[in-house]
Amino acid sequence: MSFFDIFKKKKSKDVAKDRLMMMLAYERANTKIDNLDEMKKDLINVVKKYLNVKDIHIKTSSNQDIETLEVEILLQK
Amino acid sequence: MATVITITSGKGGVGKSTTTANVATALALLGKKVVAVDFDIGLRNLDMILGLENRIVYDVVDVMEDRCNLAQAIIKDKRTPNLHFLPASQTKDKTVLNKEKVEKLITDLKKDFDYIIIDSPAGIESGFEHAIYLADRALIVTTPEISSVRDADRVIGIIDAKSKKAQNGEEVEKHIIINRIKPELVEKGEMLAIDDVLDILSLPLIGVVPDDEDIVKSTNLGKPIVLDEKSMVGEAFRRIAKRIEGEDVPFLDLKAKKGFFNKLKGLFK
Repeated sequence: MSFFDIFKKKKSKDVAKDRLMMMLAYERANTKIDNLDEMKKDLINVVKKYLNVKDIHIKTSSNQDIETLEVEILLQK
Repeated sequence: MATVITITSGKGGVGKSTTTANVATALALLGKKVVAVDFDIGLRNLDMILGLENRIVYDVVDVMEDRCNLAQAIIKDKRTPNLHFLPASQTKDKTVLNKEKVEKLITDLKKDFDYIIIDSPAGIESGFEHAIYLADRALIVTTPEISSVRDADRVIGIIDAKSKKAQNGEEVEKHIIINRIKPELVEKGEMLAIDDVLDILSLPLIGVVPDDEDIVKSTNLGKPIVLDEKSMVGEAFRRIAKRIEGEDVPFLDLKAKKGFFNKLKGLFK
């Protein structure tokens, strides 16, 4: 990289990398669990046995070292 | 103990078969007894890259369906003494394979060879699943392009889910091969560099292969480029073979060829 590059716009490879990172972050989070819908149904059935369930939200996320699965259960009032 | 190595990529056309042919040949040149197996049923190609297309009598499906025995189907390369080849079927499609048949085939091959190199079909369907099922190691081939890297990521994510090793609580050893690097474009910042690709895929690197016209010629001739001692691409593949064997070899230093005029131009860019 030469001195003049600082004033130039972003290199195409940086754009490519950013786009890839964004897309993969999304795809990785969504493909971790193959049968997410099935699991959701099962969870609803189990919780339903004991509580009045309105809805269940499942979210996966990961950072460097850990992966988490968040399950949010909305109850009927 | 035989090692099963599956060469895979997700995306087609990134150089899986060329990599299979060259890694297999390079390992054979190191004195290992190697068999390259084409798992791309219906789209046979490894035969032509190895220059063995005229010697095929039986194929891998014939073996699995007991129309011949294993020894009848395996072709011994006359040019590279330790290299053997088991061709894919050209008439059948991928649905003829099943896990039991694949397992029997690989178990039988393991008795006779040091390395079983499997050329996986593109995609993530059943053909890929069979190719990865018994792998000890996987070499994921990618070019420094977004579609190829994205598909590589997808494949990496499902290798363990589809492998027998992972079912037994072990892990398939995975490495990246970056193919068709163009140093001039990398230096201009117009192609993902090695570090960019590794950042994204977070797996160790086992080879970098420069883009080179020689590879077209070698494919035309059916003569793997590792057989050309002077070729830079050949050297890249020879080093991959050494790394597979556990040797610690430096990576090729890929720099753009620069003439005086280009250097001058570089200053004013």
